[in-house]
Amino acid sequence: MFDPIKLEIFKNIFSSIAEEMGMALCRSAYSPNIKERRDYSCALFDAKGQMVAQAAHLPIHMGSMPYSVKSAIKAIRMDKGDTIILNDPFKGGTHLPDLTMISPVYIGRTLRFYVANRAHHADIGGMSPGSLPLSREIFQEGVRIPPLKLARKGSIQKDLLELILANVRTPEEREGDLMAQFAANRLGERRLMEVACKYSYDEVISYMKALQDYAGRMTEKAIEDIPDGIYSFEDFLDNDGLSDTPVRIHVTVHIKGRRAKIDFSKSSPQIKGCMNATLAITLSAVYYVFRCLSPLDTPSNEGCMQPLEVIAPLGTVVNAQFPAAVAGGNIEVSQRIVDVLLGSLSRAVSHRIPAASSGSMNNITIGGWNSKESKMFTYYETIAGGSGASCDRDGVDAVHTHMTNTMNTPIEALENAYPLRVLRYEIRKGSGGKGLQKGGCGIRRDIQLLTDCEVTVLSDRRKFPPYGLQGGSPGKVGENILISKKETRDLGGKFTVLAKKGDVISIRTPGGGGFGKRSKDNEYARKI
Amino acid sequence: MFRVGIDTGGTFTDFVLYKDGEIHIRKIPSSPKNPADAVLKGLKIWENVSGERQVIHGSTVATNTLLERKGAKTALITTKGFEDILEIGRQNRAQLYNLFVDKVVPLVQKRYRFGVEERTIGTGEILKQADPASFADIIQNIQQEGIESIAICLLFSYANPKNECIIYKSFAKTGISVSVSHRILPEYREYERCSTTVVNAYISPIMERYISHLEANIGSGDLCIMQSNGGFISAKKAKEKPIRTVLSGPAAGVVGAFEVAKAAGYDKIVTLDMGGTSTDVSLCYENLMITTESSIDCIPINIPMINIHTVGAGGGSIAFVDEGGSLRVGPRSAGADPGPVCYGRGVDLTVTDANLYLGRLLPDYFLGGDMVLDSIRVEKLMGEFGSHLNLSPHRTAEGIIDVVNAAMERAIRVVSIEKGYDTREFALVSFGGGGGLHACELAKSLSIPQVLIPKNPGLLSAFGMLICDVVKDYSQSVLIRDEGIQFEEIEEMFAPLIDQGVEEMSAEHIPLERLSIERSLDMRYVGQSYEIFIPFKEDYIDRFNKLHKKAYGYSDVERPCEIVNLRVRIVGNLSKPKLKEERLKGENSASASLGQRIITYKGESIPFELFIRKKLSAGNRVEGPAIILEYSSTVLVPPGFSCNVDRFGNLVMKRD
Repeated sequence: MFDPIKLEIFKNIFSSIAEEMGMALCRSAYSPNIKERRDYSCALFDAKGQMVAQAAHLPIHMGSMPYSVKSAIKAIRMDKGDTIILNDPFKGGTHLPDLTMISPVYIGRTLRFYVANRAHHADIGGMSPGSLPLSREIFQEGVRIPPLKLARKGSIQKDLLELILANVRTPEEREGDLMAQFAANRLGERRLMEVACKYSYDEVISYMKALQDYAGRMTEKAIEDIPDGIYSFEDFLDNDGLSDTPVRIHVTVHIKGRRAKIDFSKSSPQIKGCMNATLAITLSAVYYVFRCLSPLDTPSNEGCMQPLEVIAPLGTVVNAQFPAAVAGGNIEVSQRIVDVLLGSLSRAVSHRIPAASSGSMNNITIGGWNSKESKMFTYYETIAGGSGASCDRDGVDAVHTHMTNTMNTPIEALENAYPLRVLRYEIRKGSGGKGLQKGGCGIRRDIQLLTDCEVTVLSDRRKFPPYGLQGGSPGKVGENILISKKETRDLGGKFTVLAKKGDVISIRTPGGGGFGKRSKDNEYARKI
Repeated sequence: MFRVGIDTGGTFTDFVLYKDGEIHIRKIPSSPKNPADAVLKGLKIWENVSGERQVIHGSTVATNTLLERKGAKTALITTKGFEDILEIGRQNRAQLYNLFVDKVVPLVQKRYRFGVEERTIGTGEILKQADPASFADIIQNIQQEGIESIAICLLFSYANPKNECIIYKSFAKTGISVSVSHRILPEYREYERCSTTVVNAYISPIMERYISHLEANIGSGDLCIMQSNGGFISAKKAKEKPIRTVLSGPAAGVVGAFEVAKAAGYDKIVTLDMGGTSTDVSLCYENLMITTESSIDCIPINIPMINIHTVGAGGGSIAFVDEGGSLRVGPRSAGADPGPVCYGRGVDLTVTDANLYLGRLLPDYFLGGDMVLDSIRVEKLMGEFGSHLNLSPHRTAEGIIDVVNAAMERAIRVVSIEKGYDTREFALVSFGGGGGLHACELAKSLSIPQVLIPKNPGLLSAFGMLICDVVKDYSQSVLIRDEGIQFEEIEEMFAPLIDQGVEEMSAEHIPLERLSIERSLDMRYVGQSYEIFIPFKEDYIDRFNKLHKKAYGYSDVERPCEIVNLRVRIVGNLSKPKLKEERLKGENSASASLGQRIITYKGESIPFELFIRKKLSAGNRVEGPAIILEYSSTVLVPPGFSCNVDRFGNLVMKRD
């Protein structure tokens, strides 16, 4: 039996350690992805690799971090002072630019806990700058790192580090980021040791378990509030990046009492292009949705996942197998998985579910030669869209939703760092879906290239718009336009293009769906 | 010459007067509808004190205007194509796991955000000069719409303000108040600069009216306004940059606490100001600590402020059991209405109720006996609440204290341990009403060796205003790499900022010999995004590497670094009140004792000795377990602690 007072106190302790790790990582990192956009996560684990606390950084990492740690434990014995690095999507990673570091925490001679952090690096090699290419197989996406020891007994293994740095476009920046990640783990390790010293080890362990049970109860309660039943929904990704064929994501949610079974069996088989998700991504999307239905301050840990059973057959687009290309898995496919889950649940609890949000992270990568500094540069950014409307409020304009929450790069930082000029950064008027409650509008960001560059865009919702609910209209689809001296071209949702100095790339992101029909006899109109 | 410090609070307006070595204090009820009423009324009491008067006032007008969104109808002029920067913000949402997305509503609506054809780039080069003919219709529009205040923020204006100046000239002719970004915050990052400038514009007309009203009615003498950077400025300057007065009350509290602590021999302190709904903590390490990354209500305000960290846990914080069975306290607060259960009307148990239940608050001595607390009500509800948790009422009450202490402990960790400071070097200085009951336990769990509770802990903010200096901060983004740059070259870059500061100080009749000038740099490694604040001395690069290691756990002397901002702080040192010292008497404190009382502490019933603080003399010693009572606060000296009254009348508690 746990003590409700100590439970609260330990909840504070564990989450503040994870938060502190994140703050140190963010403030000392080099990649704009980490320092400005905060695309990283930090978490603590027990000796079995079960997650105890994750700082509220990015939902996409929630389900996938435990996967990494378990893979690392399985692959390698970790001694005191070791740190494991990995990014292999088929061995606990997500996509290659996400590098994860895992360190064991020894109390005396026994391994008692793990700390881990993951950060999205600006480049990890492969066929295009930024390492989010329109690939056909994993080998084109960059350096694949299975769980390996980056540090032994506290010191960095130079040979492994050199091998990684030799294969990326911006090695100095990479090295700085890796040092920041390494330091964040050491900080987490130190804090956990202090806690184990202050309280007894047994007590710490028992409250780690109690907190997981606690999060489990919170999730069970959330499921119990949904009427029992079977709810299905499907939606599509525009294409796989290589052909025009839509990719189907289908889900059937079975709610029974305090349990939920989430079945993706009717989704498309894995595809040739890069729009495949690994199982870790799919799990993250599922946990995200149920975490949103639980009380706001539920701790994020392994317990949240206990009441959920996920069926995602190997070889489908929601559980791709080696050597599938997966660059677009967590940045795009994850958003559509959330859309279908919410769509299905709206059939059970319509007032608690908003219409679809923009549904794309609108990833843009620009790489080239920075003549001012005589070195390569890689600029990567995700651009927000509109959020979906819900039964009692309009959607919000220009905001990141669901699986991402990364910040923008300030224009004054971007232009100082890269040979690029922003010509326009504004809310895309009229892009939100109509309805009793209006969907939020997307963004228009126009960037002029001041040197010849390779531009890659991975985006979706350029063909199939974000759905409205209860009679609300869908949001407007996004557009990616290249404006050069000769012509203005719509480049579609996913492309790589060699663009010239002076060209302008204009990204216009989707709006959110509307909610409710504008008519007097509408059920929702009456409620309000 | 004498000085008066005035702090407007939610319930009371505090007055502290210093003349000829004596300090006089007053508290009168605040007048929330027009805070100036209480200020003027209070000043009347000392109308007949002779000599030249200087009044230093910390007002909540700027903060409340912003929190209640009661500012001026404001327009924003910006670079064409970037009118929505204020609304897009950093494109993120506040709550990760909330399907109902919320974002701050901008202070300027879309229809009042106007774009002008112009463009400056990072080097300061102007690609397109602003042409007054192109914005004539905007001026007309603004006048027709009845706009009361204008903010101007153009891209890269920190690098070259020329276009902002051109636009300013045209708009200033309208007679409408104008705030220009390169004057408010000449630093890079357009959203934060724009937001800060807009806040200034939004509160300007209201502060202008408020200060002018005070000036007109205050009679003779100087009126000065407290700033959030820990110093004050003349009323005239405060009207130009009212944003500098936001959150000035809490800042003055830290200044007061630090001054008291320094006199008592502690120059490394953590302050703890526990109020009804929240607790403010701040760290001073030989100096006040300044941050330039603050926000109010999710609106970024990047001017220099004393770094204060706030948590939603205070005496009025409500205890509840959540769906997972955990005992929680706050952030919801019982406030003043209905107040804690013991005030007679509230139904939700609070931290104050738990303290009362455990006997740490004495029902007959609350506010000197002016307010009687209802213990019976608390006992009944504590029993019912405990039964939900399967805990005895005692354990429940102790649990509420443990949980709120954990929240405050976490806040202190954020400003100390997490920033690389060793708490064993510090003293915890507690002021405000509620902290005295919690301070020793917090100190114990954070390994802070001593706790100091100043004399008149409830008036520390007003006292802080009395003893602070005139302080002006200047900054300029430069973004230069430290590759072959000479120390002297950087010194030269500081010159315009220093000249400006000295000139403004002399305009306020502060002589040169009284000025002290502090130069500092915001630095980072090339490629990073966050800066570390480094005093500008010849060894600044070494210091940067060391501080980076301290803060983030690594450093790399091989990496080139970058100077992002130059900062100048000019302090006009004025003659200050000296704290009165008393002759130390013996340790025997028996004459202040009220006898014993049995209190449950960590599950055991122990006799605590009660003392009246007013009757304690300098030099007296009190051994824990004890409780020391005074008008607006109660101090708990736990078993294992002892308390000495120092020569300034502060209580200094240490572990035996």
